[in-house]
Amino acid sequence: MSGSAVGHLEHEIHESRTATYLLVALILTALTAAEVWISYIPALLPVLVPMLLVLSGAKFALVALFYMHLHYDNWVFSGVFVPFLFLAAFVILVLLGLMMRYFSGF
Amino acid sequence: MAALPKEIGHEETYLEGGGILGWLTTVDHKRIAILYGVTVLFFFLLGGIEALLMRIQLARPDSHFVSAYVYNELFTMHGTTMIFLVVMPVGLGFFANFIVPLQIGARDVAFPRINALSFWIFLCGGIVLNLGWLGNAAPDAGWFGYANLTERYYSPGLNVDFWSLGLLISGVGSILSGLNFFVTIINMRAPGMTFMRLPLFTWSVLIMFILILVAFPPLTVGLIFLVMDRFFGAHFYDVVAGATPLLWQHLFWLFGHPEVYIMVLPAFGIMSEIVSVFSRKPLFGYPVMAYSTVLIGFLSYGVWAHHMFAVGMGPTADAAFALSSMLIAIPTGIKIFSWIATMWGGELNLKVPMLYALAFIIQFTMGGLSGIMHAQPAIDLQQTDSYFVVAHFHYVLFGGSLFALLGGLYYWWPKVTGRMMSEKLGKWQFWLTVIGFNVTFFPMHLLGAWGMPRRNYTYLPYMGWNRLNMLSTVGAFIIAFAILLLLINMAMSLRDGERASADPWDGRTLEWAIPSPPPEYNFERIPIVHGRDVFWLDKYGTGATTHGRISGGASASDVGVAALEAEPATEIHLPSPSIYPLLIALGMTMAIAGYLLWLRIALTGVFLTVFTVIAMAFEYPAAGAEVHSAIGESTGLDNRKVGIWSFIGSESIFFASLIATYMVYKGRDLVGPTAETILNIPLTSTTTFVLLMSSLTMVLAQDSFRIKSDRWGRRWLLATILLGLVFLGGQVFEFHDFYMRGLSISTNLFGETFYTLVGFHGLHVLIGVIILSCLVGASYFGWFDERRRDMAVEEAALYWHFVDVVWIVIFSLIYLMRAVTKA
Repeated sequence: MSGSAVGHLEHEIHESRTATYLLVALILTALTAAEVWISYIPALLPVLVPMLLVLSGAKFALVALFYMHLHYDNWVFSGVFVPFLFLAAFVILVLLGLMMRYFSGF
Repeated sequence: MAALPKEIGHEETYLEGGGILGWLTTVDHKRIAILYGVTVLFFFLLGGIEALLMRIQLARPDSHFVSAYVYNELFTMHGTTMIFLVVMPVGLGFFANFIVPLQIGARDVAFPRINALSFWIFLCGGIVLNLGWLGNAAPDAGWFGYANLTERYYSPGLNVDFWSLGLLISGVGSILSGLNFFVTIINMRAPGMTFMRLPLFTWSVLIMFILILVAFPPLTVGLIFLVMDRFFGAHFYDVVAGATPLLWQHLFWLFGHPEVYIMVLPAFGIMSEIVSVFSRKPLFGYPVMAYSTVLIGFLSYGVWAHHMFAVGMGPTADAAFALSSMLIAIPTGIKIFSWIATMWGGELNLKVPMLYALAFIIQFTMGGLSGIMHAQPAIDLQQTDSYFVVAHFHYVLFGGSLFALLGGLYYWWPKVTGRMMSEKLGKWQFWLTVIGFNVTFFPMHLLGAWGMPRRNYTYLPYMGWNRLNMLSTVGAFIIAFAILLLLINMAMSLRDGERASADPWDGRTLEWAIPSPPPEYNFERIPIVHGRDVFWLDKYGTGATTHGRISGGASASDVGVAALEAEPATEIHLPSPSIYPLLIALGMTMAIAGYLLWLRIALTGVFLTVFTVIAMAFEYPAAGAEVHSAIGESTGLDNRKVGIWSFIGSESIFFASLIATYMVYKGRDLVGPTAETILNIPLTSTTTFVLLMSSLTMVLAQDSFRIKSDRWGRRWLLATILLGLVFLGGQVFEFHDFYMRGLSISTNLFGETFYTLVGFHGLHVLIGVIILSCLVGASYFGWFDERRRDMAVEEAALYWHFVDVVWIVIFSLIYLMRAVTKA
């Protein structure tokens, strides 16, 4: 492939990615607005935690996949990052579980 | 400023040249290993003297050889020294540093200057830990420093300050080592060195380094809380404020039990090397051994609360942790049987390293068996804090780890120094160590069973413990004598020991294929690996199983003709020495520990750290060769990118520990203001939007640089910086507002957890802003070549986006769930 063809291809990828980045920013804004909005609705309080977890999880995934390029990059990077994320979730859940039981007297 | 990577003469060994400055500025993994080795030896002797003083005190009942206060200092510093400054760093700093690059066919580690930085940070941490001895204020709250004994109210002196700050500093060094070697092993293996061909020692330390990355963050968080309590009036472990000391125990043991395997896994690896070489057989069940190592690492992260059965966690938690603790005996048992099966039918060569290996198997198994007893909560309750526990962990860590490490020292000494140690003196030393060890520690099982509690500085004469305590003290002095023989042996070897050949033990792995001591560049040509035990296959050919005998039945996938080929010779580039690692470590130490003396020292340390980190980042402004060497042989990926992803992963556990603490304490405040009453959602929603948009500008900057539009790249970077500063400004306003409304870090649990979590996130944003500012400057002044700039921007971008995703979580959990009263 000639140098100009490579340059053209790079430019096309750049343009398509820019559109994706803007779309992701738009979705992130919308999801954040939704999060804030539902946090003000008293009736949603019983389901607020799962709803917020889903919404923030979606935002997290969008940034990780598109801005951090896990969607485009070598699988090794996901292979490094994702197990850490599971362990992080494990730390939060187990500590929370153990300490809640402790505070509630088992 | 250092020059470009230098070319070296092919006749030099790594030990020659440079003088003292050469050692202070070295980035060669082998020299750094020597620095670790010498430092660890010093701390080992120090910890040994502390142990001897304790044994003298306990030799007789009602003794007043030392006071109770000094005894507290002795047992605290003995444990802390042996664990954090001896057994762990000798595995990761000495053995892994020296051997891993040689075993995987690399010329150095992935990040040589960070390797040096890890050592200097470790040294500074060790010095801070021991500074208290100078002012009669050595740490005295036990090696696991249980809260709330460590709170200022109960420990008002500087003792615990030295301990917490020293561990914080040395922990940074350990995490950096973890990152460095993780990337090295993943990315820098020689062509053909697949995971199923990795020597077992390298396998073991790979898992050890992963454990470091996941286990140290909870300890760091626990120590930060302790520092907050002691210096800034927080109450993370204070029952009076509604908190609980149990939090410390969880955070500490989340680190503490993986730490046991961080200390034991290198020993397992050394054992596998020694047993195989001195039995002249391939390791029995290699794949299962590798999987067992992984399984041990995995399980070790889920057993920590077996240290806390006496706390009273409830039957469900007790049962779960008992089960996971017992499970870990399975992969460990597999290893022991595999070593025995390797010896079975082999041509045993009972040199000193092999003697240590045999003693290891017996003693470690004994320690393991008493460990399984502790995994049963009902039995553990009887044994907790008794001498039985002391006997158990010394059988694991001394009879196990230290014996393997001593065996490893004899095994690799010829490679490290180019000289042999005396076999005769070595055998004397071995037998005295075995006798001394068992005479010292076996009686402790009985003492514990008879009710002698650990950490009591004396006992009454009619308790029935006198004779065994005296016996134990005699054993300790036998060990001391044995260690003296080891020192003599080492000194004699260095002075006029027999010259070692490249392969004195008829070894199996790559390190034995190069001269002893190795040249600075390790391999003149990078080897191409066609089989497991590659050097053995190279020597004895296809189908070789035992020395001098060829069996025709070997698996074709395991062996290869001409196993040790090499890439064509090319110009060798090695990184130049650097003074910055030493300066950064000094700066960090001043920043963290200087506060104990004078605030200005701490501030100077902060500036020194920031300045030297930036200076080191731009040390090689146009090193094209470095860019080439940063691409991993085994994956084709850039070391720096694999490194930043591992760093981000480790940071995830750090923030998870902070977030977990916030959630645990949520809604347990005894006084206001609380999240529900004080948080300003409109403001924070706006700053959240701003931070999210900064991720957009960051990724646009990255793309602009990629299509060579530097001007737009800089503009987008400046926009990112601006948005980051707006976010930080919002945070400063918020903190000030809350403070004026009566919420300080010492007000209540919400205040301390909020300020700590959000504050640390803000610190990360600030660091990101500094990094991006440096990138803008570097791009403007043309300090980067294109490839290096793109990678630097990519690394900075990943860090920035990570800070962004952490905020996504924090925003939801803290701000938007403000009305959820309890987690």
